[in-house]
Formats: sequence, structure tokens, C-alpha cells
Amino acid sequence: MSTELIRNFSIIAHIDHGKSTLADRIMEVTGLVSNREAKAQLLDDMDIERERGITIKASAVTMNYEHAGKTYMLNLIDTPGHVDFHYEVSRALTACEGALLVVDATQGVQAQTVANAYLATESGAELIGVINKVDLPSAQPEITAEEIEHVLGIKKQDCFRISAKTGMGVRELLDAVVTLLPPPPDDGDKPTAALVFDCICDDYRGVICYVRVFAGSLSVKQKIRFMGVARTHLITELGKFTPKMSPVDRLSAGEVGYVIANVRQLSDVTIGDTITDDSKPAEKPLPGYVPPMQMVFSDFYPGNNTDYPNLRLAFEKLALNDASFSFIPQNSPALGFGFRCGFLGLLHMEIVQERLERENNIDVVQTAPTVSYEVLTTDGRTLKIDSPADLPDVTQIEELREPFVRLEVITGTDSIGGIMKLAESRRCKLLKTDYLSQNRVILEYKAPLAEIVYDFYDLLKGVSHGYATMDYEFTGFEVGDLVKINILVNKIQVDALSLIVHRSVAENRGRKMLVRLRKAIPRHQFEIPLQVAIGGKIIARESIKPFRKDVTAKLYGGDVTRKMKVLKRQREGKKRMKNIGSVQIPQEAFMSILDSSD
Amino acid sequence: MGNQKFDCESCPSIKRTAGLYVHIPFCEAKCRYCGFYSEPIKNHAPQRLVSAIIRELGQYDHIETFQTVYIGGGSPSCLPAEQLLRLIREITSHWPKPEEFTIEVNPGQVNKGIFSQLRTAGVTRISIGAQSFNPDELTFLGRRHSVGDTGRAVEMARQAGFENIGLDLIFAIPHSTLSSWKYSLCSAIDLGVQHISAYALTYEEGTPLQKSVEAGEVAPVDEETDRQMYETTIDELEKAGFKQYEISNFAKPGFECKHNLNYWANKPYIGVGPAAGAYWNGKRTLNISDIKKYIEAIEQGKTVIAESETPDNTQIACETAVLNLRRRCGIILDEFEKQTGFDAMKLFAEPIGRYQNLGLIEATDGRLFLTRDALPIADSVLCDFSTT
Repeated sequence: MSTELIRNFSIIAHIDHGKSTLADRIMEVTGLVSNREAKAQLLDDMDIERERGITIKASAVTMNYEHAGKTYMLNLIDTPGHVDFHYEVSRALTACEGALLVVDATQGVQAQTVANAYLATESGAELIGVINKVDLPSAQPEITAEEIEHVLGIKKQDCFRISAKTGMGVRELLDAVVTLLPPPPDDGDKPTAALVFDCICDDYRGVICYVRVFAGSLSVKQKIRFMGVARTHLITELGKFTPKMSPVDRLSAGEVGYVIANVRQLSDVTIGDTITDDSKPAEKPLPGYVPPMQMVFSDFYPGNNTDYPNLRLAFEKLALNDASFSFIPQNSPALGFGFRCGFLGLLHMEIVQERLERENNIDVVQTAPTVSYEVLTTDGRTLKIDSPADLPDVTQIEELREPFVRLEVITGTDSIGGIMKLAESRRCKLLKTDYLSQNRVILEYKAPLAEIVYDFYDLLKGVSHGYATMDYEFTGFEVGDLVKINILVNKIQVDALSLIVHRSVAENRGRKMLVRLRKAIPRHQFEIPLQVAIGGKIIARESIKPFRKDVTAKLYGGDVTRKMKVLKRQREGKKRMKNIGSVQIPQEAFMSILDSSD
Repeated sequence: MGNQKFDCESCPSIKRTAGLYVHIPFCEAKCRYCGFYSEPIKNHAPQRLVSAIIRELGQYDHIETFQTVYIGGGSPSCLPAEQLLRLIREITSHWPKPEEFTIEVNPGQVNKGIFSQLRTAGVTRISIGAQSFNPDELTFLGRRHSVGDTGRAVEMARQAGFENIGLDLIFAIPHSTLSSWKYSLCSAIDLGVQHISAYALTYEEGTPLQKSVEAGEVAPVDEETDRQMYETTIDELEKAGFKQYEISNFAKPGFECKHNLNYWANKPYIGVGPAAGAYWNGKRTLNISDIKKYIEAIEQGKTVIAESETPDNTQIACETAVLNLRRRCGIILDEFEKQTGFDAMKLFAEPIGRYQNLGLIEATDGRLFLTRDALPIADSVLCDFSTT
């Protein structure tokens, strides 16, 4: 098959702008699935994705489409739409020649629209502008088109106006995919080079790699080599997602599909690796991926220490299906054995946490997420610090640097005031403002990541009545006047409760942390003093009053069964807590220290 | 408060024992705090219930002896005298001269004559539901007897020859104060009884009192006062020569309630009557909590067991530990091992270590017991013994 009849493309969009609905409709129009089968957004194959209405994993489907008497093979590679998942979007885009940039006509251009468009341009993919939901009464397709032209440089008359829900305009859009997007280069006669752009682990079949063949071809029984990890395997199955797994004998240059090659070891595959023919290898691997930039770190400890090996297994499994997640063993004096985990952002962290609990029955205690810091020590070394606990003593710190981002907020002009105030309170510096249209504006800030990564998004939604959207991109580390807040529980310093903050807010934050902890740690059989220290000096204290009376007055023969149940329930309540000294600290307490609200 | 050493003469001596409990689910009127199963007697024919209970007792003919018998309720004293005596005679004719035979009485429902009859019929111990010596507290609880009734009941029982008389008291009643409680305690001590049970008022699920609290009409005594009342109870009663032998129970030496000690030893017992519980042949059972249905089941020869559970070995060990630890003498380690097959120090090593460090548990002389400091907050400790 000539690559002339192949089109590889993605759909990129801000969250909720209808990407998954459009994917469903395209599969319907191409006859791949019936409406009934579509089961509301087929490409999202994990429960959590469907529940949260977001797509985490890039998935791929292959379809046939008739145009001008010819049958084209369309490969649609799905992408996530949330700020945390830039990395996965850019991964999907490298496997494509083009992308549909979808904008909701009732919402206009949003922060991730812009971010995704930049990514597409960087990866060299052709863009087709798509204005969705034009059937809704509140749709403003003309204004949206103007915004697209203004910010993204796609001419407004070139944008397609569709309704993914009703299917209106979808056929015309597919015609455009065929006529406007370029076919993949015809490199079938070159040595085999296929990019692994995703992989999943199946309990029965082992590792399933999603590949885009750039040159040569892959066939069943072929001996292949993963160039990055330098391991060879025999292909046992090749196939395409239609959207079910449909085996084929061969995947040629330009095609997208899956490879099963008896890869059992999770560590034998790296996303971004190149598969080549073992006997006639490619000269050099395809440009892979820059490893994802992890922005947020948090320690996970098993509630019960005997669960440590199970937690490791669970993380290994999660890491295979999520290349942007990492974990390394930790041993905390207070919390025992656990793992330091790295995430793309807070949402990513929450998703991993949920999957961990849903797919594995392990009680986990998790510390408050932190960004990473850079320390220049007095003896001239540069350290990367992913946890306040690892911060060296003040006397050994020459410079403490924190990560900064370029933050883009898109909002209606009526909430500019509130957003400016919020941004200022979080040490953000306004770089520029740009009007998208008469009523909507892009605000660009330089912001400390630590200030915007936890609750900033929620607050932003609050002050803008839900209308503002944001996106950010890491720009670099800069020196900051930062201090570490330490918490002492029952006179023992608990590393997992430490926080690095700007000196100007340290005292205030420290006091708030104590109030939160006083509420989050349950009463014990003894009084628990809580203290907060900054730079070795105690600045505030609180105490948790002990139980004074907690005893069943009567317990005789007939009450035993009932009473034992009550006691067991009382004990259940102590689960998901970590013993620090003689104090049991619940999960909520570790998280509560981040709450800076009044 | 020091964690005094406690030596216990009565607890370890419990050998192979079995108790018999009879539940009389009748009351004159239901008190607002009571969570036990009972119904106003005027709606029922007492002789039919007594006949049914006697028939249920017949199932246990093969048991040779009961060391203890306990008739509780409800309010057994609201049965017509002839019915109550019929029941007692039936018991003593099968199992004569138990070591202890207790009957609970309401001080408003007794007279000289009945005490003599009970004594003659074989009852050895009287437990009187005094509850309080403050009239307004009795009114608040919905009790129908007066403070004077309690004194008279004790006196009549003594005159009838009873030498083992116990009083039940309730503290932390809404509106009560530390001094009103001390007054009740001293009044009880002054009556010269041998046994006092002092219970903090419990807000049982579904009782009118609990609903009033939920609706905000009644405010429970605050935790600190509740604590002080409990501490005072222990101090005052020990000063008066009573020994605390369980969380809520105090006795002059040798007058501990053997029947209840059997429960805390987690030894077997039979329970008959509506809503009675039993622990027999490794099974915990509860009878039907409905007088009419209970009588019908007995009359039709059907089982009266409504709930049944067979705890496994670990569960038995946990139950035994929780029950034993309510005693001041605690777990007697070698008896525990003989009884359950487990070494308590190993089975509960984690909580024991933790609570020893906190001074809430002590292990000495082959016993593991809660310290005085642990008593007011015993549940927060015992819950860690409820599972392994």
C-alpha cells in the first residue's frame, strides 16, 4: 500500500471542547462502530478517564474512508486535553502528520487550545482549525473564528464549522483530512524504523506497544530490536485498533498499529524507543522524546509496612502505562519505607493515586505534594531537592532556587481585577496582556510554580465564575528568599510535614498549618503538643486535647457481639494513619498543610 | 493518680463454670434511657411468658449444674409474685443451690413479704435499681420509684435475711453535678450495701433520650465532668472499703458478682427468655426480641434463636481479651493461653508495647491489665484488641 493513501492525525483541544465526541463521530462516519457501540467516547479506555471526562492515555484507531473513488487509511491518535499532559500530547503529535485543533464555539479559544497549538507547530504537524458545537444556541462561531485567527494564525475562513454531537460537517472535515493533510513520507524501502509512542501492559499478553512505522515494515515472526534498550524480540502479533485489536500480518511505512513481541519485563520497553529489524538495523534511532518534566513530587508510604512489596508492584505496573510517572524508594525515619513519586502536575498525581487505590487494594499514606528545588551548596555543588525533608541545613545553603513558569490565563474582561489580585498574592508578575476579542483577554505571567500548582486553578475558577482557563510552561529555576517550615508533633519533628515557602508568608502559613493539623489529627489518649518552627525557632504552638472519657459503661453477656463490632469500627477509624512516635497521623493531616485559605 | 497494684482473689478462681441468665422483658413503664428489650406488662399475660420460659429451660435439662443464676430485665419484680416464685422454684428444682442466685428488683415494686419468699425460694443476692438519690434525676430518667423506696427496699431485703445486696447507680445524668453525684454515692455507701455498680449514662441508639439529645433538647454532661464523676466514684468507693473489680463494678471483699465475672472471663452461659443472649458450645446466640413471637415459637416447638454466630479461634481470643481487660485483674496470661490457645503477649504484642509506653497497660505477675489512667478511656485502648 502506498503511503499516498494514508493519513495520520490527532485531535487536540481544550478539555471538554468535544474531542472525544468528535473521535466517536469520525468512527461512526467511517463505519467503524455503530452509534450504539460508541458507548460514549470509545477511546477513553480507563474508568477514571471516562468518569472525569478526560483522556489520559493516547490511543489509536485505524479506519477506512472513501474519497473521490479511493479508499484512504485514516489513523486517529487520541491525545489528552489537560495542562498536566503536554508531554503525552507532543508524543502523539510526533506520530502524526497533522492535527485537528478543536475549539468549542460557546467557549472560544482557551488556555490549552493555545498550548496544544504551539506543541503541534513545534512538532511540524499541519493544523486544521475546527469550530465545534455550532448547533448550540449560545455558539459564537464568528467570534471563535476570529480568536483562532488572532492567536493561532489559522485563517478564519479556513476553519471548519461542525457539530460533533449531531455529526454536522464531520464528513466535510474528513474530506479535508484527506485533501489538506500530507501523507506520510514513502520510506518503505529504507531499513525498518518504528516509533513506540505508547504502550500498555496486559496481564495475559504482556507488553503491547503502540507504534508508528516511519520506514521499512514490520511483519509477524520478524526478529526486532529495541534500539534504546538494545534488546531483541520476536514479533508474535501485529495489529490495528479498529477499535478492538485486529491482527494483521504486516505494518508498512506510514502505518500505525500495535506490536506484541513477548516482552514480559516492564523495563524492556521505553516509550519513544525505536524498533528496527535485528538483521538489517536502521543506522540511528528516530528522534525520541525528551523525558517528561516532572513538576510535582509526593511520597507514598504503605499504611501497613508489610504492604511495601505490593506497593512496589503496583507502581511498576502504573509506570509502564504511564511513562511520565516515576517512583524511587525512600526511607523516612518517621514514616518507614515508601516511594518518592514524580508527576507532571497535580491532576496527574490525583489520577495515579486513584488508580493505585482502585486497581490495588493497598492503604496508602501520601505526603503533601511539593515542587522540586535547586540548591547551590556552600561547597559549590548543585542539588535537586524533591522533598523539603531533603533540604540541607541552612548553613550549607548558598542559594535556594525555585522553579518558575510562564503562566497563561485566558479570561473574560470582567474578571481581570479578581485574577490580578489573586496572581499578585501568589507572587506572579504580569508580563503582558493581549485581547483575544472585545471581551476576552490573555494574561501572561511569570509565576513561581509552587504558588500555582496546588490550589491556584480552583481559586482562578472561583474568581472568574468558572470561565478562566490556564496553562503553564516551565521556564527555569531562580533564586528565591525561601525558608523551610518545620512541624513538631509531640516534640518530634515530622519531616513529612515540612514545607518550603517564601519568607514573606512563612509565619502566617506556619500558624495556619498548626490550625489545620489540630483539626486533622484525632484526639489521642494523651495531650499532643503541636509546634511550628522556622529556622530553628518555635513561632507558634497548639495542642490537641486528649480523650477524657471513652468507655462503655455496661458490657455483659448479651452485648458482646454488638460491642465487639463497635470496637472494630473504632479501630478501623485508625487505619490509613501513620504512627509517628506514639501519635497516629491520618492521611488528611499530611495534605492539610497545603491548605492556605483562611 | 497512681497506678496502684491490684491483687485479685476472686477472679482467677473461676473454674469450669456456666451461668444461667433469665430475661424478664417486662416493665411497669419504659424509662427514657433504657436500651434493653422490654414492654409494659399490662399488655401481656405474664403466666404465659413464664410458662414459655420454663419450657425453654427444659432444653437444658442435661446440664448438671449452673454455678450462678441471674434473673434480670426489664424488671423481674413487676411479675406477679406467684409467677416469679414459680419460675424460681422451677430453676432450683433442676439446679439446686447455685453458688449465687441474683434477682434484679425495682425498689418501687417490692415489699417485705416478697423478699422473704425470694429468700426461702433460694435467691441469695438482690440487685436494686436505685439509679440516683436525687429526686429530680430520678424524674429526669423517667423512674417511677422514689429515693425513699430505695432505702426501704435495702432495709426490707436485709431484714428478710439477705447479706449480699447490690445497688445500681447512674452518673453523668443531664443537669447532674459533681456534688449531686457525690451525694448519690455517699447515700449508697451509707445504706451499707455490699456491691455498687456505677454506670455512666449511655445514650443508646433509638431511645427517647438519645432522640432528645439529637434534637438538641437535652445536653449531655460534658466530657470533663463525666471524667471527674468517674474518678470520684473510684476514689470514694475505695475509701469506703469497696474494691473496683471491673470498669463499672465495685464490691466489698468477697461480694463480687460471680455471675458477671463469668461473662468477663468469657466462659459459657445459657440465656433464656425473649432477647436473652447465650454463649454455649462455642456459639453466641440471641433470642427473639418480641414477647409474642417468642411465646408462639416456644408453643409451636420452634427455635427461639434469632441470631447466631460462631466466632473462630482468633475472634474468641480477641473477645476474651476485651472482656478480661475490663476486669481490674485483667488477663491472667496462663489462663488465657489455656482457654484460647494463644499467648496474649504475642498475639497483641503491638498494642501492648504501645500502651505500655503510654502507661495505659501494665504486665506484671503473669497478668496484663489496664492501669487506673486507662480506665476512663478504656474503649480507645480496647479497640486495638478487637481484631489482630
